[in-house]
Amino acid sequence: MRALWVVLRKELLDAFRDRRMVAVAFLVMPLAVPVVLAGTAALGARKQAAQFESTLELPVVGAEHAPNLVDWLEQHNLDVVAAPADPDAAVRAQRHDVILRIASSYGEDWRAGRPAGVEVIFDSSRPMASGATIARVRGLLDGYSDTVGTLRLIARGVHPAVARPLLVGTRDVATPEARFDLTQQLLPYLLLLLAFIGGMQLAIDATAGERERQSLEPLLATPASREAIISAKILATAVFALITIAVTLLAYRVSFTVLPDDISGTDFALGPGALAQLLLVILPIVLLGATVLTALAAYARSYREAQGYLPLLIFLPMVPTLVLMVAPVRTQAWMLAVPFLGQNQLILKILRAEEVGPVEWALSLGAGLALVALAWLVAARLYHREHLAASS
Amino acid sequence: MIRVEGLRKGFRTRNGVVRAVDGVDFEAADGQITGLLGPNGAGKTTTLRMLYTLMAPEAGRVLVDGLDAAAEPARVRARLGVLPDARGLYKRLTARENVAYFGELHGLDTALIEARTVRLCAELDMHEFIDRRTEGFSHGQRTKTAIARALVHDPRNVVLDEPTNGLDVMTTRALRRFLLSLRDDGRCVLFSSHIMQEVARLCDRIVVIAHGRVVAAGTPDQLRASTGCENLEDAFVKAIGTEEGLYA
Repeated sequence: MRALWVVLRKELLDAFRDRRMVAVAFLVMPLAVPVVLAGTAALGARKQAAQFESTLELPVVGAEHAPNLVDWLEQHNLDVVAAPADPDAAVRAQRHDVILRIASSYGEDWRAGRPAGVEVIFDSSRPMASGATIARVRGLLDGYSDTVGTLRLIARGVHPAVARPLLVGTRDVATPEARFDLTQQLLPYLLLLLAFIGGMQLAIDATAGERERQSLEPLLATPASREAIISAKILATAVFALITIAVTLLAYRVSFTVLPDDISGTDFALGPGALAQLLLVILPIVLLGATVLTALAAYARSYREAQGYLPLLIFLPMVPTLVLMVAPVRTQAWMLAVPFLGQNQLILKILRAEEVGPVEWALSLGAGLALVALAWLVAARLYHREHLAASS
Repeated sequence: MIRVEGLRKGFRTRNGVVRAVDGVDFEAADGQITGLLGPNGAGKTTTLRMLYTLMAPEAGRVLVDGLDAAAEPARVRARLGVLPDARGLYKRLTARENVAYFGELHGLDTALIEARTVRLCAELDMHEFIDRRTEGFSHGQRTKTAIARALVHDPRNVVLDEPTNGLDVMTTRALRRFLLSLRDDGRCVLFSSHIMQEVARLCDRIVVIAHGRVVAAGTPDQLRASTGCENLEDAFVKAIGTEEGLYA
């Protein structure tokens, strides 16, 4: 136990004297994360405003067939322009988000009271870029169609309500905290990523670096057990990562009080209690990351090789987010026991200001810590390999 | 006192198993300097690594002050002061902090560590750099710090792997005086070297190793007598059977 404490203290002292490591962990990360999140939010807000409020340029094929429709569109802040020769290719090449094609039979059908053909040309594989614009054009077309339809019914002496058997209303029951935006959808992933690999440099330095600098062999020649040494290195990594995350979260929190509302996006109104809960949720991931990183550093033959595992490690915390993106499902109890996925769900709950129950805590922490114990056994085995220190 | 009995160790390589140590026996007594002499690749470092429990022998055993290294590795390591072939320091810590770290790992309290550091600092002439961070240290300064760190717990048995490697003449001479003073304190000093003159000048007993085996052992006089050579150098060459790797 004493050896564990001695090694832990030395590893932290060593790390805190490494100016570059400290600068990245406690300056760059806390600055970069709020900037990225706030920047995304600001960009999103601006784009949304632009798509809904600004004058939209809309190329129309065959505008001459439907002068009244074109007038309606122009009255609603659309700028109708001549369409390019090949509208499909133009949309596919992203020169235009949407192009409207008015059928040449439009005038004839219109006068005959038949549905007149209008075609909206768009690319559904780009929902992020053009989704709002498409919705806006469709909304205007529906509005025109409704208006003219209502007028026609009245002209024939029919009450317009006859054509509306249903009155569909909506009621959004989401709490204000739950109506979070893109920013806070990114936050769980960023948190899990930081938790998992936030201590990477320390972990690699403390084992692969220690061996490369030839100080591991003398260390292993002291009475300190390898279990104590590896545990201390894992704990040092975890402590370092936790401090990085705490500072980053605080910086993020502070950025909301400093930045104007329209830049910072949704209010991140998390109190100290919620921040503490977030740190507790990711604690098993922090320990798991520290253990896996230390095991990899012991397994790798060199510092460089250890760094080579980084892409794999970045991918792991992404998996649950990706799964949920493709197949959004309701949170079920077993999910809380799945590493990353469980933490992801709990982080979302905390961000939505929902209560996390004792069973949920027990499942998430219990399963997480059990996995840490398993990883520790693997890491300790790797630390007992003979060529760990005696490779030369 | 260190006793090594029937030590064996092989390494798997692409071209089959290399028998690095193939039956090594010797004894290093207290109050004596014992030299492990052999050409490069003779198995000296592997033998020493099994001695301080970094590696487990395939056969044979190591006894340090009567303790079996396989059964009680931590107690054995506590009785040894080890200067391994790898002697890297922590570059962001000062020499004093490097020494203190190992003192703490040996379970010493702060006051004792300070007292020992003062003594080692004087004996190894480290005043000039003891409070400097070790980044940028000269080879001699690094070796001195590594030796101080290995001896901070005042071990009865001192094991050094090629201690004079790469040192200049002045530092080598200082180190020799230091090893002699360790012997005069009654400690068991065991060091390895591939440099014949080094061993001949310092050692009370010499163990000659070649191809993983002990090929000769005894005092310098005994070695001369047993090989029938007047000159110690000729005696070594005869014992090893080749001149290869004997001169640095």
